[in-house]
Parts: sequence; C-alpha cells; structure tokens
Amino acid sequence: MHNSIKQFALFVLLTSALLGACKKEQTIVFGVNNMGISEDKSNKTKKKNGAEYISILYTNLYQKAISPNQLYKTQNVLYSIGDQDVANEMLLSNYFNTGSIIMPSNAIMRSDIDAFVVNTFKRFYLRYPSEGEKAFLKQYISKSNAVSVEMVYTAFATSKEYQYY
Amino acid sequence: MNRKKFIQKSSLALGGSIVAPYLLPSGRLFAKTGSVKADHVVLVMFAGGVRQQESILGRYLEDSQGVLGAAGNIMPNLFEGNAPTKKIVYGTSIAGLPNGSEPIPKLLTQSMENSGVLFPELRALSAGHYVGLSTLLTGNTGTAQGLRVRPRYPTIFEYLRKHAGFKATDTWFIGNGIGNSTPLLNSSNHPDYGLQYGANMFAAPVTFSASGREVLGNSKTYTRADLEPMYYIKNFLDNSFSLSKDQIASVSNTDEERTQIKDFIKSVFAKQQAGQLAMPPVLDNGDAINVMYAAEVLREFKPKILAVNISSVDGCHSNFTGYLQSLHRADHITGWLWQHIQNNIPEMSGNTIMIVAPECGRNEKPNPILDQNDWLAFDHSDKNALRVWSLMLGKGVYRQRVGSEAKPIGRLTDIAPTIADIFGVLDPVMQSGLLDPLAKSQFLQL
Repeated sequence: MHNSIKQFALFVLLTSALLGACKKEQTIVFGVNNMGISEDKSNKTKKKNGAEYISILYTNLYQKAISPNQLYKTQNVLYSIGDQDVANEMLLSNYFNTGSIIMPSNAIMRSDIDAFVVNTFKRFYLRYPSEGEKAFLKQYISKSNAVSVEMVYTAFATSKEYQYY
Repeated sequence: MNRKKFIQKSSLALGGSIVAPYLLPSGRLFAKTGSVKADHVVLVMFAGGVRQQESILGRYLEDSQGVLGAAGNIMPNLFEGNAPTKKIVYGTSIAGLPNGSEPIPKLLTQSMENSGVLFPELRALSAGHYVGLSTLLTGNTGTAQGLRVRPRYPTIFEYLRKHAGFKATDTWFIGNGIGNSTPLLNSSNHPDYGLQYGANMFAAPVTFSASGREVLGNSKTYTRADLEPMYYIKNFLDNSFSLSKDQIASVSNTDEERTQIKDFIKSVFAKQQAGQLAMPPVLDNGDAINVMYAAEVLREFKPKILAVNISSVDGCHSNFTGYLQSLHRADHITGWLWQHIQNNIPEMSGNTIMIVAPECGRNEKPNPILDQNDWLAFDHSDKNALRVWSLMLGKGVYRQRVGSEAKPIGRLTDIAPTIADIFGVLDPVMQSGLLDPLAKSQFLQL
C-alpha cells in the first residue's frame, strides 16, 4: 500500500516537472541584418608552380588561355632570374604594355573604391577582403592619386598570397 | 640614487653591453673577425670537367691521343708555357685555312700563373659536375647531395650575407643555363641559412635570350614614384600572408634593389639592340656569352662577390676537338673578364681578387667515341677526374706555387673558406661546423 502511494507521488512529481519544463519557444530579434558568411582569411597552403602561376595570371588578365609555346618560353625566362618578384613584376609590366589587359579604368576604380577593392580580392585571391583589408585599401586609394589600377593589380599579382592556392 | 646603487647599476649596464650581441648598422649580429683583404671577389667556376693533362700540364694531344711532339699550352692567359706547334685545331677558323687553326691571341700581358697563387694539384671531392660546383660554393664535400635540389649546405653567398652583412645585390651567381641544377646554386636549403641569405642569380643566356627579350623586354619603365604605391600595397598584402622560413621561394631584395635589377635588365636589352655590350674579342660559344653578361652585372652592381659558371668543355664526352676549342676559349674569356675589371670598372680595379678553379677533372683513359679528327673522347669518373688546379690573383696576392704533381696540396673545399677569409669572416664561417673539416683557407697554406 505504502509502495503504491510512493510510486503514485513520484509519477505525479515527474509528470509535473516534465510539463513545467516545456515552454513555448520565443523568437528573439536583435535587429541585425541577415548576411552571407564567407571566409575572409586566406587558407592557402599549396604553392603554384611556375607554369600554374603564369597560366593563371595570363588567364586572369587577358580572360583567355596562354598558348603552350608562350607558356614554355615565359616559364624558362622567369626561372632564369633569382628574384622571382623581379621576374614577375617585369612580366606583368610587359603584359600591361600590351594594352589588351581586361581591367577597369582608373575612373571606375575611383568612382566606387569599395566595389573595386572587393572585386580585386575576388579576382586575384578568390576571396572577400577582411574589413581591415578593405578599410586600409579604401583609405590608401582615396588618399593617394598616384595609385592606379595597374599598380594595384601589380601588387596583387606579385604578392605572396597570389603565389599560393 | 646613492653611490652604491649607482655603481651596481652602471656595472650591470656595462656587463650587459659587453655580453649581449647587438645589431650592427649592416644588420650583422657579430663583428667581423679578421681583416678584409679585398672588397670584391670574382669566382670563375671553370667547369665542365677539365683534364689536368690538357690544361695545367700543357700536354695537348701528346697524352690524350698519343700524337708525339704535340704537347703545348693552349691556355696562355692562365698558364705559362709555349703553344703547341703541331695539329692546331683549338683556335678560330679563317677562310682558306684548316678549321680552328688560328689560336686566339693572348690578352693578358702576364699569365695568371705568373701574377698570382697557383695550386697546381688540388683534390676535387667528386667527379660529377653538380657536386663539384656545390663543393666550390659550399666548402662541403657534398656527400649525399641530390640533383635538382639546392645544395644541402650553405653557399658562400649565404655565409657572406649572414656573417658579413652583405645585401642581396652584393652577391651574384651567373649561371650558364637553366638545365640540370644550375639555377639552384645561388642558395642552399639549409634551415639556418637558405634563400633569405641567397645570392641574386641570372641564368644569363636565358634571361637575355630572344625569349627573354620577348617576355621581359617590352616592360614599361616606371619611375620610383610610380612604383611606390605598388610596393606599399604589396608589402601590406604580404604582411597579412606571412610565410614560414621554409616557404620562402625567392631571394630577398629590398624594393630599391628590385627596382635596380629591373632597370638593369632593361638596360641590357637596350644595349643588345644598340650593339653596345662589352664582349670578349671571340664570342662564339655559350660560355663567352655568359661571361659577357657577368661583366655587365659587375659593371652595374660592383658586387662584393660574383660567381660565374662556364661549362662548354663538357663536350669532351663525345668531341675531343670541341673540348680543346672550348678550353682555349674558356682561357680567353677568363683573361678578358680580368682585363675588363681592371680597365673598365674603376671601383673594382686594384681592389678585386679573382679565383679560378674547375669543379672536377676528367678521366685518364678515353671512351671509344671518335670525333671528326679521329680523336678519342673522355668522360669523368676515375681517379684522374679528381685532379684539378686553382688560381688566385689580384689585390695583395703575390706569385706563388703551392704543391706539385708529386706533392698535391689543397682540396676544392678550400675555395669557400678562402673567400670567407678575404672578407674577414673566416672564423664564423668555419665555426658554423658546416664545411668539410679538412677545408682550409688557401691563405693559410701559403
């Protein structure tokens, strides 16, 4: 008899605890806009070899593939120079001198620096800039009239991150 | 502050300043340990595999092909001795006369042997090219050195940049091509040294070839002001993507040095077009072209050290006549380079030491390949291929012959410490513990 009362009391206690724990879910809104999330820091660990670097760069700038013959010649010449930054900077300068690189004008860059910075990061680094990177470049480009699209592209194409994927 | 505290603090400060290492203006951690013997060194890596018999011993065809009475010296700028008088094939060709019958006139008034220190019988540490070249530059025997990889032990460029505080454009390696492992000789992959201390490098016959002109020659001439924003942005981007030491894949020049190198490349292309490059009187092989560009680098950068590699004599594997011609031309261009420094680069004239040494010798016995004159060719794999020589001349170096065929003195690993000695950093270089334990500065063997 005692046992039945105890069991009944325990049942009532557990049931009421269970029911009491259920609560209607509340929707809390903090007033923050929805945003797409992307990785803003590079996580590139593999170095492009000479052929990969030249081929990717050429396609990036001209929006078409480099010919095998041109690739072979370029690869050999770059390999013959000890400082790869020097070699790459000269290669780029040579490309820019052809006048057929597909890139925005300086006026377009200055008309919307934010968009230019984001697009440049996406074009060269295949990622979005961090807020710090964006702020730095935006401020530097807007403050210095000497900055041209050509110089920004050269900086990106010869940077360490562009050597990696 | 009372007197006791003052004495305590000043003693501590004095002790600390003595014990703690400090950065010198040059960026060095430690002061040089010896006196500087010259401000510039040019190392001619007289490579390709040079037999003692046709070079320093002046035997021409007598030993190699058994042609009696055909001994003689075909390297008049380097060594003493009369030229051969029989079967002359090593010179240039003149219409109507047999091929190679016109020897190239001697350029130097006095042979290098007569002007400097000759080690006539040095021991090479390998009968192979790449290990031999590595040995010349590292002072290490190169045991277990693989092909198509950087030297395992630091090169003299890295020692000098680290211990003597030289900047990147003070140190140059001029390779004669991009084949095999040649372009990797400007730096080792040693964890304590490596590319961050490596030398600048051109494989000049490729950099300044028609392809080079096509790929690089049309580049724009930017002013330093144009480039400033580019370097500013690049340096910002690079700071966000720092590489570990083993990920560094290139020599590290400053922005100013990079600009100077780019301007130099463009100036060489311009000189090519205008026919204004200074060149040896006879410029008919790749070695001569390489030395011509080495001279341009010397003129522009006045480097502390420049090593230039030549190797046409390696044709000896299948063409003995070609080998003789290449040997004669290697002598010619080495003499020309020395003369060019003395006459055309005032900053280096009288203040430079040149060292010349092959990386390995060649076999005593021939292989069965006959050339157009029915002469046998030679490979490099036997004991004779470990016999080489070295020459050193220039500032403060006086005529001396050290050792002989009967009494060999010195090893090829002596070259790197000799260069360290010239720049006053022999002690730290030897104390690195990374050189052949038997290597010794040649100055200590005089």
